Amino acid sequence: MYRSQKLSLRYFTAAIVLFGVMILFGLLSALYYLYPSMLFNVFNFSTSKILHIDTLVIWLLMAFMGAVYWYLPKELGREIEGMWLAEATFWVFCAVVAVVALVFVFVQYGSASEFSLWFINQGRKYVEAPRWASIGVVAVMLVFAYNVIGTAVKARKMTGIMWVLVLDLIPLLLVYLDAFPAPTNLSVDLYWWWWLVHMWVESTWEVLIGCVMALVLMDVMGTPRRIVEAWLYIEVMLVLGAGILGLGHHYFWIGTPRYWLGIGGFFSALEPLPLLGMVVHSIYDAGMHRMKTANRPAFFWITAEAFGNFIGAGVWGFMMTLPQINLFSHGTQWTVSHGHFAFYGAYVCGVLAVFYVAKQKIAGVDFLDGRAWRWSFALFNFGMVGMVMGLLISGMAQAFYGRAIGGSTLMAFTQASENPWFLAGMYARMGFGVIFALGYVVLVYDLLTAPRRALVAQPAPLEPA
Amino acid sequence: MTPAALIETALLLGVLVLAGGGYGGLYSVGRLRARPALVRAGWVCWVAAFAVALVIAVATPLEAGWKLLVLGSAIVYAVIPPVTWRYLERLHVEAERGR
Repeated sequence: MYRSQKLSLRYFTAAIVLFGVMILFGLLSALYYLYPSMLFNVFNFSTSKILHIDTLVIWLLMAFMGAVYWYLPKELGREIEGMWLAEATFWVFCAVVAVVALVFVFVQYGSASEFSLWFINQGRKYVEAPRWASIGVVAVMLVFAYNVIGTAVKARKMTGIMWVLVLDLIPLLLVYLDAFPAPTNLSVDLYWWWWLVHMWVESTWEVLIGCVMALVLMDVMGTPRRIVEAWLYIEVMLVLGAGILGLGHHYFWIGTPRYWLGIGGFFSALEPLPLLGMVVHSIYDAGMHRMKTANRPAFFWITAEAFGNFIGAGVWGFMMTLPQINLFSHGTQWTVSHGHFAFYGAYVCGVLAVFYVAKQKIAGVDFLDGRAWRWSFALFNFGMVGMVMGLLISGMAQAFYGRAIGGSTLMAFTQASENPWFLAGMYARMGFGVIFALGYVVLVYDLLTAPRRALVAQPAPLEPA
Repeated sequence: MTPAALIETALLLGVLVLAGGGYGGLYSVGRLRARPALVRAGWVCWVAAFAVALVIAVATPLEAGWKLLVLGSAIVYAVIPPVTWRYLERLHVEAERGR
């Protein structure tokens, strides 16, 4: 095992721990909707939500970095350049995350001052981490970029996947710089803030997970490089074509010019089309390689990614992306439902596949299967589908009663929050959230348990017609 | 847009994409397992998707431009699975030759 793969195991461990923290604060945040005065002025909903969302961003980022550190030596045939720096950075990253989390839990917020901005909370959704910590994230990203590019230069080797990865590092670094300005004009602030949320977390990450999945597909299913690279290029084209201007659906109601309604609606409406192509691709690959795979949990998570992405981003997204609908749905639990499903489908499923790739390597088994991962897979998917259905019902109740009937007044918002449909959806979200959390417990158990050493004869793959 | 029309239109838009996905899924499984009945079931899904698009165009209060986009999307859904499938087959054949 390469030294960088040992580092990636540390990243995976940290990611799994933060995944648990994210679920914990997700459950706590869900409880506030049922018991609004819970922990009032002790530990408010806003802090719980910050911890839920920020840990989501950080655990996925750590998992992506771990995945790249895992596959980079294999792809380039040499150890990572600047390994000691990468190892030191990991501990710095963990320390930064721990300090920020402690500040969020115990200090929570400060006065409206530069000090608060730098050391307590930036107050910008998803990037609440104080500035010193944001600078730390930039430093981590710089080291990561140095590791990737430096290794490629030293190896004197560039594959198609590596080109995409290296080029993706540019926006990965640059767009995050959007975390720093604090304009006082809310429209200007939101205009650039959406670059961070949509371009960084959605578009740039989409390409990053595309690179990771390309490597996983070659590893787990033996898909030829030519095919995964062809699909990766197509994905990049689609991200550039539809994804970037799809950003416009966030600009509908923040005070930007009217033409964003047309641009955002049009390009967002195109987004389900490539996802349909991905569904076809996953079925083709599943059929071609299903019985060949030596890592069944990774294979199932890869397949779940294509379907989860299609339904979460495609179906759920298209329901609410046209401006006439979005006028009523934005900022409700409807959006939350879409966000949960899309993130789960696009990123979480893919990352879980990588965890199982690592597990197989550590365990040293030729064929990875078992019972626990099936339970985890079922609980995660059942829990997620239940949660997003609950959130959808609550969100539609908000849009219907609070926005369309009530006219978006504060009183209408309050009344919609007490509506039986809204509460029923929230109870469902809580219940299915617990099921999702059980899936996490089984996942951790499964990842920590040594698999049975079983060499199973693998039947021939199915041939396409 | 009335409150009821809001929910109906949103659900129709979701069903449109879902039916498109059903078409892609059934078409692909049908081709994979050489079962024409599944491929036909896939086409039934596409017809359902197009019918939903027509309902959206006729019965919802969306603006004309969005209705045209929805109809156009439904038509494009028809070609994505067969074109993708052929492309994948060609890629695999070329990859096998290259080995």
